[in-house]
Amino acid sequence: MLATNLYGMSFSHGIFSLPLLFGTFGPTGISQSSHRHDTTQHNTTQTQHSRIVSTLITFRMARNLGGFLVLFLAISICEAASIFQPISDSHRSAALELFSPTDGSFGSLEETYEALRTFEILGIKKRPDISAASCQSVSETLGSSTSSLKDVFHALKVNSILKCKVNDETFQGVAKRLKAVLNDASSLLDFYYSIGSLVLIKDQNSGVDVLLHDADGVFRSIKALSQSDGRWRYSSNNPESSTYAAGLALEALAGTVSLASSEIDQSLIVTLKNDIVKLFDSIENYDDGSFYFDEKLVDAREHQGPLSTTSSVVRGFTAFASVTSGSINVPGDKILGLAKFFLGIGIPGNSKDFFNQIDSLACLESNRVSVPLILSLPATVLSLTKKDQLKVKVNTVLGSSAPPLTVKLVQAFISGTKDSSVIESLELKFDPETAVHFLDVLPKSVDVGNYKFVFEIVLHDSEDKSVYATGGQTQVPVFVTGLIKIDNAEIAVLDSDHGSVETQKQLDLAGENAVSLSANHLQKLRLSFRLATPRGNIFKPHQAFLKLRHETKVEHIFVVGNSGKQFEIILDFLGLVEKFFYLSGRYDIELTVGDAVMENSFLRAVGHVELDLPEAPEKAPRPPPLAVDPSSRYGPKAEITHIFRSPEKRPPQELSLAFLGLTLLPLVGFLIGLLRIGVNLKNFPTSAVPATFALLFHLGIAAVLLLYVLFWLKLDLFITLKTLCFLGTFLMFVGHRILSHLASTSAKLKSA
Amino acid sequence: MSKLLIFLTLIPLLPILTTSFSPENPSSRRVLVLLDDLALKSSHSVFFNSLQSRGFDLDFKLADDPKIGLHRYGQYLYDALILFCPTTERFGGSIDLAAILDFVDSGHDLIIAADSNASDLIREIATESGVDFDEDPAALVIDHISYAVSNTEGDHTLIASDEYIKSDVILGSKKIEAPVLFQGIGHSLNPSNSLVLKVLSASPSAYSSNPKSKLSNPPSLTGSAISLVSIVQARNNARILISGSLSMFSNRFFRSEVQKAGSPTKHEKSGNEQFLTELSKWVFHERGHLKAMNVRHHKAGEADEPTIYRVNDDLEYSVEIYEWSGTSWEPYVADDVQVQFYMMSPYVLKNLSTDKKGSYFTAFKVPDVYGVFQFKVEYRRLGYTSLSLSKQIPVRPFKHNEYERFIPAAYPYYGAAFSMMTGFFIFTAVHLYSK
Repeated sequence: MLATNLYGMSFSHGIFSLPLLFGTFGPTGISQSSHRHDTTQHNTTQTQHSRIVSTLITFRMARNLGGFLVLFLAISICEAASIFQPISDSHRSAALELFSPTDGSFGSLEETYEALRTFEILGIKKRPDISAASCQSVSETLGSSTSSLKDVFHALKVNSILKCKVNDETFQGVAKRLKAVLNDASSLLDFYYSIGSLVLIKDQNSGVDVLLHDADGVFRSIKALSQSDGRWRYSSNNPESSTYAAGLALEALAGTVSLASSEIDQSLIVTLKNDIVKLFDSIENYDDGSFYFDEKLVDAREHQGPLSTTSSVVRGFTAFASVTSGSINVPGDKILGLAKFFLGIGIPGNSKDFFNQIDSLACLESNRVSVPLILSLPATVLSLTKKDQLKVKVNTVLGSSAPPLTVKLVQAFISGTKDSSVIESLELKFDPETAVHFLDVLPKSVDVGNYKFVFEIVLHDSEDKSVYATGGQTQVPVFVTGLIKIDNAEIAVLDSDHGSVETQKQLDLAGENAVSLSANHLQKLRLSFRLATPRGNIFKPHQAFLKLRHETKVEHIFVVGNSGKQFEIILDFLGLVEKFFYLSGRYDIELTVGDAVMENSFLRAVGHVELDLPEAPEKAPRPPPLAVDPSSRYGPKAEITHIFRSPEKRPPQELSLAFLGLTLLPLVGFLIGLLRIGVNLKNFPTSAVPATFALLFHLGIAAVLLLYVLFWLKLDLFITLKTLCFLGTFLMFVGHRILSHLASTSAKLKSA
Repeated sequence: MSKLLIFLTLIPLLPILTTSFSPENPSSRRVLVLLDDLALKSSHSVFFNSLQSRGFDLDFKLADDPKIGLHRYGQYLYDALILFCPTTERFGGSIDLAAILDFVDSGHDLIIAADSNASDLIREIATESGVDFDEDPAALVIDHISYAVSNTEGDHTLIASDEYIKSDVILGSKKIEAPVLFQGIGHSLNPSNSLVLKVLSASPSAYSSNPKSKLSNPPSLTGSAISLVSIVQARNNARILISGSLSMFSNRFFRSEVQKAGSPTKHEKSGNEQFLTELSKWVFHERGHLKAMNVRHHKAGEADEPTIYRVNDDLEYSVEIYEWSGTSWEPYVADDVQVQFYMMSPYVLKNLSTDKKGSYFTAFKVPDVYGVFQFKVEYRRLGYTSLSLSKQIPVRPFKHNEYERFIPAAYPYYGAAFSMMTGFFIFTAVHLYSK
């Protein structure tokens, strides 16, 4: 049940047009539940038809105040017109996709029934085989005395399709139990399930006594739950009335009538027929001619979407119509509207919706009141050049053939201009082989363009008129397309002052062009061409753009206007320099001409013009920033390697060694000099003490020099200075002793 | 008392129970779908089913449901948001423009589908994301040259486009053969926004205008500048998909056969399903989400990471990069990952080699400039989440004793000094004792 509880589901048909306005007031002070009502704009459900812009705005005026005012306001730009296609093969393939069993069954019996019934209606032979598992489930449900009414009901429904082997005793037992339930039933669902089940037993096993002896009583107790506006309550202690329940009630009442052992009181039937009429008074509609039922009171728990609500009413209504004689006063166009509603949904994406749609359409297809006929066009885009035929199909909702009839093209007018009709009253021929009504050639008065065709179905047999609902006139948008002739295309550069032509080139807009022009800001560029329809009339396309693109990708677009017979645009560069941002240089010229009804729409590079514009003044506007190519923003960067400082230049080693030799030369010279002057050590002290001091003094000097060498090689400054400190003191001492000795010796010599 | 005990024991389990968005598991899991109409659930079921079959938990709500909210008690309830409610003027509950922007700012994903009658609210959300829808509310993208051939749609607003962005990460590696059907409004990208990308663009002949009214001024959007579907990857790696058409997600378009005008091939199925499924994989971080880990560097021949490098050291750098596949982290393979050795500007920028198992490595010499450097990996690629790694490391100059000794060029100086010293020593002896 949850799956069906789609809140506020409603479907539009691609087109909303005339303002749709309705307000609803619920019973006051009953529901405090929150009210949510959504509007829909749902363009995709329609299988294939033109889509026209629409706007739908919801205003929620009041909520939780006991009374609700819901205002739906649909504003649209264009008029309503749409076509509905009957059920086709795409539904069949979708059905197989949607109803695919898992582990050999569809889950619950209800889902199994929905799947089987859908396959049955659509005539799908290759359905998955699930009879073994389902039949077992059916017999289990029917055999058990504790299974719920709803399960019994659905089990019987599955059985009606699968024809499982269920023995008579089981049926007897179930029938007995159902009758017992029926006797003290008080809620609508009890009635619905028990009566529904009894009807199913009657159809499946004629040996079981299912007839109701007190049919009138049952009828009255169900009727007692009805409301004055044609809706029903679920039970006597639940004051809320629902449209969905009305459908269930009608189906139960239909069952009661068929189960009655004696004729039901006719007055009851008559009041019920009035109720149905009242119920149909509350029908809601979209402006494309489709009708639907929706719950007026929106309760989150019990609420059913428009699809299931409408579906329930249709089932109940058709069931009741089939068991009663006499007419029910429901207009045929409402029935047709209901069919359009279901067809307008297209192919629903969930199985419950799909079943509701198909089952309701099947009910409508075979209903006794009026069978809707759907007029559809296989193609609404017709080519004048290819001489396409206008084809119209008339089918029942499930796509089976219609009774003998003629389709009349009442009127055709250019959309937007309602008064000027191009065709009046044409009868379409019928091709019995393909069951298509067609118009051989479109009349001369139909040129390329966007038309609205108005069709009418005329039934041949006057008896059929009471059986079928044709819905009067049907308006269909039709596009008549064709090849457009282009000629007199030329491009010219004009002198501004005199208007004299400086250069002029002919263009072939059907082929390639590569004109090259040059102009300065004092000149003008003129481009002109002429368009004609296949019928020779002037054609005005929706899109006629001239695009100038500068080398720097700055683009300028101009709409080419039409002056009488031909399309012409004159670009006065003097007035455009600012717009062109004073950018001189090459401009590529591109011409685009296109229209929905033009089969040879084109985008053509015409050539280029070399523009010589004045220098930009300081305050000139800058060209807008251009979109950057995303790939340039990403991608790896160039590698960077660090350039290391190169080592300083050094002289070759030989040179250093040569200079080393040179630096040693003075020492050698000094030594030779010493030898030459005959140095000796005769002054060296001879006595032991001064000689020791002399030795120590020189050793000390040698130690200091050695310390320097060590400092150079490895020692640091601190150790060196420390050591030097000691050595220095030592040197001072021994130096003083030896020097004073030497001094005294030399003084003695002098004095001697 | 026992209930309390059970409760207390369950509390530590809570983080395990919630399978939500996290750096370790970046796919969105819980998705809020806001609809104008619950019928969309049925008419767009193929798209939703494909999401559900990939493990997403979709929560369908009406856009004006008064109970909806994106977060509660400071926690986001959802990882992603799908806005299939083009006409909604105001959301119900606590959701508004600011809430949605906050949602994206905190790294969550968003899909917006607008339509011809898109409300100001939806337009504003799109504008905040960096795209501008055509301001004319009645405008549709029209293309008289590359439209989809149809027997019943004659106004050329049903466009068959195959001008996709060239990126395997966004649209999957499998080529989309059939054109994508589009019917809706066009938008342009804000040129100053560098994060937004055109995924599906219109053909050069397209323009955006009201098909019912005559054109007197050039339309504001024309040609390939019209974007039909765009994506945004924010700096926090939140991803947004913006489409000007809600119907392109519908079952009808998914199943529809398509023939582009002027092309002889008729495809049995439009490219919509593949295009949007692949794109939704990207948006929901099932593809193109990278993570980097185990950044290591050391001197050549050593294993430990030093605290400082000396100029001219040889070093080795390695990083591991993985891509999220929707279920697990797979090694990321590319040849354009680069590392920078950076101080104010890159001194070294080098491509990383890969072992195709996710590890990227290289070796280089520290420049002869000292200071505080960074190892930087700035990996920004189309469609991938950006990686931005940086690791600081100082570089010192040579110590005084690390320079070269006994340079041959200095031999003359050495010789001079030593000869001087030798001479001095001899001189002292000679001077004192010579007679």
